Amino acid sequence: MAETKEKSLSDEKPKPRVRPIVRLGIFLISHSFHVSVVCCTAGVLALFLLPVLAKNTYISENALMPGSASPMLSNQHVSDGNRLVKDLTNPNSKSSETGIESHKIIAQYMLDLGAEVSFHKFHPQMNQFHPLHFFSSPDSGKIQENYSCSSYGINTVGIIRAPHGDGKEAIVLVTPYNALKSGFGEALSLGIAYSVFSLLTQVTWLAKDIIWLVADSQYGEYAAVAAWLREYQTPKFSSLSTPNAEMCPDVNNLFELKGHSISGSKFSNSFRRAGTMASALVLKVRDQNEQFEDTISIYAEASNGQMPNLDLINVVNYLAVHRQGLRVNVEKLWSLLNSSWLKSLGEIFESLAKVAKSLYPKWKFGIPATEYVEGTATLASSLYYQALGVPTGPHGAFRDYQVDAITLEISPKFSLDKVWRNDILLRGGRLIEGVIRSVNNLLEKFHQSFFLYLLTSPSKFVSVGVYMIAFALLIAPLPMVAASLYVDANSSSNCSKGDSSTPSAITDTDEHSIAIRSWRWLNSAKLVFIVHLWGAIVSLLPYFISQIPDCSPTTSFMIWVLLSILSLLTLNSVLASPLACAKATQEKEWALVKSVTISSVFIGLGLMSVINFATAEIGALLMVPMCLLAQPLKLDVRAGTLRSFCRMICNLVLGHIAFPPAAFFLLKGMLDGFGNANVGDFWMWVESLWAWNSATYLFIVEVTYIFSHG
Amino acid sequence: MEKLKKKIGSFSFWNWVIASIIFRLILIYFPKNLNLSSRPEVSTPLTSFRRLAEGYWLKQSSMSSYAGSMYHGSPLLLSLLGPLTVKRIEGQPNHLLYSLVSVIADVVSAMLIRATGQNLRLAYLRSLESLDLVKQIDVSEFLFSGDIAALIYLCNPFTIVACVGLSTSPIENMAVILCLYGACSRLIPLAAFGWVIATHLSLYPAILIIPVIFLLGCGPDSPPRKLFLQRHQQKEVLNQLKLPPGFSWGPIIHFAFWAFLWSVYVLVLCGISLKQFGGLWEMFKSTYGFILTVEDLSPNIGVLWYFFAEVFEFFRNFFLIVFHVNILFMILPLSIRLRHRPCYLAFVYVAICSMLKSYPSVGDSALYLGLLGWFVNELADMQFSLFLFCGYVGVSLLSPVMHNLWIWRGTGNANFYFTTAMVYACLQIVLVVEGVSAVLNHDRKLRILITGKP
Repeated sequence: MAETKEKSLSDEKPKPRVRPIVRLGIFLISHSFHVSVVCCTAGVLALFLLPVLAKNTYISENALMPGSASPMLSNQHVSDGNRLVKDLTNPNSKSSETGIESHKIIAQYMLDLGAEVSFHKFHPQMNQFHPLHFFSSPDSGKIQENYSCSSYGINTVGIIRAPHGDGKEAIVLVTPYNALKSGFGEALSLGIAYSVFSLLTQVTWLAKDIIWLVADSQYGEYAAVAAWLREYQTPKFSSLSTPNAEMCPDVNNLFELKGHSISGSKFSNSFRRAGTMASALVLKVRDQNEQFEDTISIYAEASNGQMPNLDLINVVNYLAVHRQGLRVNVEKLWSLLNSSWLKSLGEIFESLAKVAKSLYPKWKFGIPATEYVEGTATLASSLYYQALGVPTGPHGAFRDYQVDAITLEISPKFSLDKVWRNDILLRGGRLIEGVIRSVNNLLEKFHQSFFLYLLTSPSKFVSVGVYMIAFALLIAPLPMVAASLYVDANSSSNCSKGDSSTPSAITDTDEHSIAIRSWRWLNSAKLVFIVHLWGAIVSLLPYFISQIPDCSPTTSFMIWVLLSILSLLTLNSVLASPLACAKATQEKEWALVKSVTISSVFIGLGLMSVINFATAEIGALLMVPMCLLAQPLKLDVRAGTLRSFCRMICNLVLGHIAFPPAAFFLLKGMLDGFGNANVGDFWMWVESLWAWNSATYLFIVEVTYIFSHG
Repeated sequence: MEKLKKKIGSFSFWNWVIASIIFRLILIYFPKNLNLSSRPEVSTPLTSFRRLAEGYWLKQSSMSSYAGSMYHGSPLLLSLLGPLTVKRIEGQPNHLLYSLVSVIADVVSAMLIRATGQNLRLAYLRSLESLDLVKQIDVSEFLFSGDIAALIYLCNPFTIVACVGLSTSPIENMAVILCLYGACSRLIPLAAFGWVIATHLSLYPAILIIPVIFLLGCGPDSPPRKLFLQRHQQKEVLNQLKLPPGFSWGPIIHFAFWAFLWSVYVLVLCGISLKQFGGLWEMFKSTYGFILTVEDLSPNIGVLWYFFAEVFEFFRNFFLIVFHVNILFMILPLSIRLRHRPCYLAFVYVAICSMLKSYPSVGDSALYLGLLGWFVNELADMQFSLFLFCGYVGVSLLSPVMHNLWIWRGTGNANFYFTTAMVYACLQIVLVVEGVSAVLNHDRKLRILITGKP
């Protein structure tokens, strides 16, 4: 006995001492199931805790100094603005079919102030998805189109040169205006902008040029602003450009008229530029409103979930609330506001906070339940719009050129008397003036405050450091489960070989698997790669399908489905039937496939969290449970226990829900009732997404491919 | 694409080669959309195509091609490849001829890798035979490491990107592989030529002289010599024929002679082409000097640019010495430990260089990953292979994303990009460490087989 004991001791002795970190890793891997359940729950919980953890915003760039100077906008400027509004709403100006007349009026007003004025003609460019654009910088690969003279828009641009500036920097003020069917709100927004503009021609403190862009919104606000920005940022040097708007007689006519009436003034035919843009404000006035007080809504989400610097929102919020007495509003998901479960959740958090405070008075993290519900609704909409990747307004075009921009939408308490109108003009104008004055003080680009944040209210935000925790908790199980599966698969294959360490023992694995033991995952990697390849092909197909003329959404969707299946079959046959191969293999091979899949999902989600956090978060909520629960159905059926049956049901349900068309139908069904759901809608939706080069689109493919595994 | 190494025997090798060539040609037709030649991962100040074209333009307008610190490559490369940068064919992509040269260089490299791999495999089998281990190790299970290595090199996305991205690294890699091929198949003039050209083009391959000397002196990779002696002691018949040959100085002197001849030849050619513009000294200053002093701090996938952008000017020289001596420090211990496996030693050197060199690009990684394929049989039990694979995939996807975040979106900063560079360096370290330990374990396993005791 003693001998054997000694022997076993001596056997143990040469075992190298395991380092604590390795031991921790082994512990985590061996308890991966419990750890992953805990982590996932914690991740979801942390997501709901975010509104509680939100911090108050603060202005971190000292140079901004918002509200330190008293506003200079006087009633004189307001009456100027009023004059413009009156002229624009005058029925005479609307007689022209193209709306050129009203643009002329605006230009004339600008010229009277002594600003430099030019017209910018553009053709609305359809947003086209180009599969290779993900790799290229924003400027390259521009597609030259055949222009026709029938459709073009005119942006009117006025520039004030700063008396103290060197012309290297500029601030942009954008007012979308549709000359053909302009409402009173649009005219009013022009009035506000004009009153500010007329003030800025007189002030001495201006250090940055001011550009006022009246964007012709008859082809959409975004298209007009984007066209102007494209022209501004990428000057064309070649004289041999394709036939563009200047060839059209109508437009030339406009110029001649202009040149005739005011020769020798600051009007010019050519495209005028000022310096690099420090920031941009898009100003809108909503036409009808039923609220009780003047509010101002801030829209900030640009393409792919990019946000402007938080300082810009802070400045607007500070000036609107503390100087002009406007209520500031950020987009909310209104349906969440009345949900009872959120309210009860908020009450739970509130009572927890009370308990915590009674335990230790310095813990003050609780917020009232109503505030919590509102914060959650705002957060949800913030997440939704960032995840969708479609900009919420014309400001989105600026962010593509690294210019911070937001849209301000003033919704006034509506009444038609003149006093009210003057009041709105005065307060709106003073707000814009204050923001411009603050930005004018900037010495550098906006860089102090956050770019990566989620808003829970206009004055509260969740920064990247906080919301990443929730995400990290959510995806933490993935590498752990992958590692444990991998280790299991490897060790089980080792055991089957016995303990002889001779290389000859390696050979008795499956007949077609290779001797290389630690490289056995290559087979499953190949399978995963092929499925990814299929996903890529499926995602590129719509581009080619959209080239087919005269296709209704429904037929093109059908073509898409057919071609996808066809490509899967082709890949299957060409690349040595990977799926059949997978079927033939045993459980441990399946574990390897799952392990490789999970690690690739982990890489994908990690990447996506850097590109677009909101997409990654929503995707992780969908995919992490799916990845962790996935099991081959055959095995579950064979096992026949209750637990495996539950798991199978879970798999089937999750797999179907996460399959994008299914998810889309469910959502749509919930929103509009199932009656009018149509495959064509899905096609339209996808089309609208890829039009914005949305990262969401890539992501959907990822989901698709997981599904095909399930 | 490493997964392709499965079952190469049944797959047709040539099919894959043709497929990879066709894939390259397809990509060459989208140069504008891919925009690879301006990616910092692909083109460094040394390998950039645009700088080459600029250097050629300066040369054509009878100025020094090194004027303005634009071009930092060899004058010979300028004379050979320069005309291709301006030659256009109507209706074809702009740099078609140049891209074709890169594709040809890649294919030639792959063929040389294949030939060398077959050489290595034969040598390995021979040494197993002389150790009488053929019965214990099933030789039929041995993979054709040459084919695998060639396919890894050809199908590796890094190689493809470097080739389509119009960088000069396919040519530099070809010179290195030429050197190793010459040394393995004992074509001493060829080995000397490869070594001289590789050194001339990118300086770092100079340290490959150590593995080349071992290769020429004692032949290609084999188990340690000690094992042979032990084996024969056991049998108590010392069969001199079965022992690997000892170190012989003849080929090395031969090599030195040829290396001297080639370097004189190259220098004379360079001197002629740079006669009016400051001569050879100017060339050394703006090629080797540029490499060693890390003048260009534009971001790349290495770690030096960030460090030297941050370091105080006062300490700059000190840290330059520290970083470069780092490579030299590793030469001696590795060469002692791995002297019986000169080709593996060459792989380790190449990997270390590509990790610590001043302007690394993915082309360098492509080279050592290709060379890794030679040792599939030895590395069968390498640990962390899945982790390394995922790491490489992740980093190569994350790096462009971080760059986009920093440069185009402006929401990130240099630290974001540098993080991926550090992760990449760590991955390479793990690869080298695990690779070396796997090979040493393999040797240990052979010893156990022979002596029968652990």
